[in-house]
Amino acid sequence: MSRLVENPTKAAGGTAKARVSPRRRRPGQRHRRPWLGLLYLAPGLVVYAVVVLVPAVQGAWLSLFHWDGVTQATWAGFENYTNFFRDPTLRQAVTHTLYFILFFSVLPIALGLLSAALSARRQVRGGGVFRALVFLPQMLTPAVVAVVWKRIYAPDGPINDALRAVGLGQLAHGWLGEYTWALPALGIAGTWGAFGLCTVLFTSGMQAIPGELYDAVRVDGGGAVREFFTVTLPGLRGSMSVVLTLTVLAAIRVFDIVWLTTKGGPGISTITPTIVLYQRAFANPDVGAAASIGIILAVVSLLATMVIVKLSEDKS
Amino acid sequence: MTSRGERIWTYVLLAVITLAVVFPLIWVIGDALSPDPNGSLDLGHLTWSNFGQAWREGGFSQYLTSSVIITGSVVVIGAILAVMSGYAFGVLGVFGERLLFPLVLLGITLPMETFVVPLYYDFQSYGITDTYRGIVLAHIGMSVSFGTFWMRTAFRAVPRAIAESAEIDGAGTWTRLWRVYLPLARPAIVTLILLSFTWTWNDYFLSLILVSDPAHQPLTLGLGAFSGRYLVHINLLSAAAVLISLPVVVLCLVFQRQFIRGILSGALKE
Repeated sequence: MSRLVENPTKAAGGTAKARVSPRRRRPGQRHRRPWLGLLYLAPGLVVYAVVVLVPAVQGAWLSLFHWDGVTQATWAGFENYTNFFRDPTLRQAVTHTLYFILFFSVLPIALGLLSAALSARRQVRGGGVFRALVFLPQMLTPAVVAVVWKRIYAPDGPINDALRAVGLGQLAHGWLGEYTWALPALGIAGTWGAFGLCTVLFTSGMQAIPGELYDAVRVDGGGAVREFFTVTLPGLRGSMSVVLTLTVLAAIRVFDIVWLTTKGGPGISTITPTIVLYQRAFANPDVGAAASIGIILAVVSLLATMVIVKLSEDKS
Repeated sequence: MTSRGERIWTYVLLAVITLAVVFPLIWVIGDALSPDPNGSLDLGHLTWSNFGQAWREGGFSQYLTSSVIITGSVVVIGAILAVMSGYAFGVLGVFGERLLFPLVLLGITLPMETFVVPLYYDFQSYGITDTYRGIVLAHIGMSVSFGTFWMRTAFRAVPRAIAESAEIDGAGTWTRLWRVYLPLARPAIVTLILLSFTWTWNDYFLSLILVSDPAHQPLTLGLGAFSGRYLVHINLLSAAAVLISLPVVVLCLVFQRQFIRGILSGALKE
């Protein structure tokens, strides 16, 4: 989409063409004023530097020390990083990240593709209402999402009530309070939250696919399934890279929903890297270790983004 | 044409999916209207007073004030900065652009976790933790990357003919920004404001770290505190959750299209 916008020549009207000099120029190139531009940029750049850039560099530096936040810091070299890979809590947290990628990214994408393919077809009525409804969870603040799911999973909540009502009372659980169930329970809450976003983004991607392609498949005698794999899926490459980037990055840094429901427990059964970071930074300060987690998250996020962008380009 | 059977299956599947998504929300709304503090549904006795009671007991007026001050300042100042830096990169050009533009873009991918811990200690040494100034500054700083990228794209889409005719009329850079570029980029600015409103209003993590004084905390933290205190009063907790969600849900439903366009292009880097 941004590529379209990035090509202003196409957007310009006929009068523009008449005036265009042989050398192709970008809009406003004639009055480019780089020093004045720097002046316009300065306020934003300063705030960005103070809040993001400088602290990020400080974070990299801090990660090389042992520091409790109060007394003198001592040099640690790469110890915080080597500890990252040895620490059983963190190893657990990383395993959970993979788990969350499944529930926050893979599942919502699969479901989103399915429901977008179903609801975007011309013959289906009420597609707009459907998308507005499934998009609702995406607008809720995590604090509210936590209230909702704590209620649904409560020992006397609707899930357990329903199980008891159909005589399966022995299957009732305190879902968020049990080692076995807490992680999948949170995963489902995550799928619930991300699914609407995937549906809506895929639908808007599908609207850009020319209708003739579908007609062609139908003429060939192809059904809905073939239509999906030969036309819809390849046409969604752009949306797919957006959706993957958004959901994978969210899965890597899950914090709010877990912190507000289980605080990483019971035990460490739902702990995530960001929760460890928060605890190390503020509960029982080991600031260097917290900073090293932040740096590793940054590297992983940047790598993930690069891989996703690369993959979506390669196929074209 | 699609066959009849295929169509029926489509509707059934979509209905099941919708129900699964909406069910938890409906349940909580039901709780919010029920008289029983243990949370058993009783829609025969709708208790609208739950909303007022939850609001008073949770002290949400104070939290609302903070949320409005924080979100309002971030949206306004953030939009101004985004317009200026977007204009710089999109129209004027910037000295050192090859270095500065990727540097600014980096902020879109960089997770908050990378800089939030040092940021906390920095803010502590400036004495601005637990203040509106501090949390507003942090939100704005984080919004610069996306805002700049977004407004730059919008300004570059302005047809060359229009900008040039303004130049012939003798308009300076400042006048051109106000008279030509801003009016044309209005839809983009609306989207930017919407996104920045939602992100700031819904934030939990950043406020949790930078604001520990309840007098300056936003609604999201207020709800967290309330749910800790009132575990028993499930109906009141649900009522509070419903109230807090309303502004964003209404806003997003009204502007859903702009909202989605924003998300779509936000992650697409060039």
